[in-house]
Amino acid sequence: MPDPNVYNDRVVTVLVVLSLVWAIAGMGAGVFIAAELVWPTIDLGQEWLSYGRLRTLHTNGVIFGFGVSALMATAFYSVQRTSHVPLFAPKLAWFCCIAWNLAVLLGGISLLAGWTSGKEYAELEWPFDIGITIVWLAFAVVFFGTIANRKVKAIYVSNWFYGALIIVIAMLHVVNSMAIPITIGKSYSLFAGAQDAIVQWWYGHNAVGFLLTGGFLGMLYYFLPKHADRPIWSYRLSIVAFWAFTYSYIWAGPHHLHYNAIPEWVQSLGMVMSIILLAPSWATMVNGVMTVAGAWEKLKTDPALKFIVLALAFYGLATFEGPMLSIKSVNVVSHFTDWTVGHVHSGALGWNAMITFGTFYFLVPRLVGAALYSVRLANIHFWLALAGTMLYVLSMWGAGVSQGLLWLSLDELGELSYGFRDIMASMTPYYALRFVAGAIFLSGAILMFYNFVKTMENRTTVVRRIPDVTTARSAVEAVA
Amino acid sequence: MTFVPIDVLVQGGQLFARLEQATASASVVVFKDILPLALIPPIFLYLGSLQFGWQIGAEDVIRLNQATLLMISVCYFLALLLGFIGLAILLRWMAPTYAATLEMSRHLTLVATVATPMVVGSIAHLYPHVFVNMLAIIPVLIWSMFLLYRGLPIVLRTTPQQGMLMASSLIGIVLVAAVTLLGITVVLWTHGFGPSLGL
Repeated sequence: MPDPNVYNDRVVTVLVVLSLVWAIAGMGAGVFIAAELVWPTIDLGQEWLSYGRLRTLHTNGVIFGFGVSALMATAFYSVQRTSHVPLFAPKLAWFCCIAWNLAVLLGGISLLAGWTSGKEYAELEWPFDIGITIVWLAFAVVFFGTIANRKVKAIYVSNWFYGALIIVIAMLHVVNSMAIPITIGKSYSLFAGAQDAIVQWWYGHNAVGFLLTGGFLGMLYYFLPKHADRPIWSYRLSIVAFWAFTYSYIWAGPHHLHYNAIPEWVQSLGMVMSIILLAPSWATMVNGVMTVAGAWEKLKTDPALKFIVLALAFYGLATFEGPMLSIKSVNVVSHFTDWTVGHVHSGALGWNAMITFGTFYFLVPRLVGAALYSVRLANIHFWLALAGTMLYVLSMWGAGVSQGLLWLSLDELGELSYGFRDIMASMTPYYALRFVAGAIFLSGAILMFYNFVKTMENRTTVVRRIPDVTTARSAVEAVA
Repeated sequence: MTFVPIDVLVQGGQLFARLEQATASASVVVFKDILPLALIPPIFLYLGSLQFGWQIGAEDVIRLNQATLLMISVCYFLALLLGFIGLAILLRWMAPTYAATLEMSRHLTLVATVATPMVVGSIAHLYPHVFVNMLAIIPVLIWSMFLLYRGLPIVLRTTPQQGMLMASSLIGIVLVAAVTLLGITVVLWTHGFGPSLGL
């Protein structure tokens, strides 16, 4: 019988370690395919090493392996502390941890073997889709069960974001994955044509919204005030931003389908809702920046807080760039170019990875009850992450704008001036720079991994008792 | 009299100590440091384009006539000059938030410091091939970032912690400004200004 007076932190430690392993593997795959775009023959003629297969391994590895493991770890850690109870159904939490990572591992192998549904960010075939649904339900039971057991009446804002992540991703995943299986490794979507496209990008964009944005905002709202040792600058703003964010994000998907065979009003609606999204996104950024600005003394002792500060800067860039790219007259040039890839990475490297790194630098020493092995290495990691992200974004801006211009250029006869092959061949300088940028970013992640291995060496997760806390609200209620 | 660009290149470890002591007025910094820095890249661009022509993307080498080239170089110079001074104004606007100095000359000195590696890197304009210029960006950008984070608290007289926040805010603003410029450019293209596109 587990002790009801201590937190369940071992599962958090394991999820953090697995997340780190996926970070190295997923980013490693990314750097390799970046190299393939410069030196196409390094796939050695092997199908499983080809760009098409490794690219899906890269995206699934970093989003679902690195990202979701980190989200599960931080959700389990913070929901216990904001509710003052241990995890509900801790064995189910272990099931989530192991089954999820097994699903991503086997799913990754299936992608290398050529199984794919052909839906971006949802490539895994139907057996994995069913498995993911089961694990996700278990995640929901553990998370909401813990909240139901809470001893603090208010549900802290980070839990609203994690809760939205769990509910919305379940809805998106189930609807978008509906398919008719033909064999064990092949199925066909239940939706056809333009409807399939709309459902796919309703899924795709809201996976970005509720997983890569909302989920990680949950992380920000718990760990930033903890780091800074002061409450969030405006709690009211965080709640308003949450509802505005949740309401407007769900409509934005059609901006992925501008000038396609879907109704024009659907495209325009997607564009308008995307532009509206800027308001709640930047409200959150302001809230974060003002929270840190009042706690600047902490930056001296805490390398982790630096990552969070930078994450907020790149969050500001990505959430501004996204609405801008959704404007139809910008999108007509930027779509189908590497500008989109750059935009995704300013979010993925600059926001998701940085906020996770910052959180892990805070979390790992606390989990094992030891000081970080090397603050110096963490500081070097900070520089590598900053340089890698900046160079990545610049290279893709260069590549993207050149491509947009060259795809559409007309000669004096009104014919397209350049062929696809010529344009792609001319991208080598940008792709080489992107490869260097990715390698720099990856080397930082490897340093962090080594730093954590040394920090955790010969240590186990510290058992922490749940503090006896009488909140102001419950004190008032007791008197009443 | 000290020259910021030269100090950045030769002073090494003593650089920030020297900048900390700097006493020149804002107008002096503009004429002595900012103007030469804004002048160098356009000159390299002019000479390189005249000699070799630009190679961008899949297009053949672009050779512009001398008058057009001169006009582009002058515009480049003005853009850099306004950009540098604009950045200094932006820094000064942020200064009270991060308890930094309000002296404009120091904000201009910081901009000159951070811009110096970029201006040195612009020597790649002498051979205006995208690949060469991309290669030059890597060390130059890292060097500039280093100078920004290390130099900001010293030159602007704030704590290293608040300096770190201010530098990160600046990066955020510059990135948003850069992507806005790209966006505006593209909207102008799609509305018929600039290159003829098949839209």
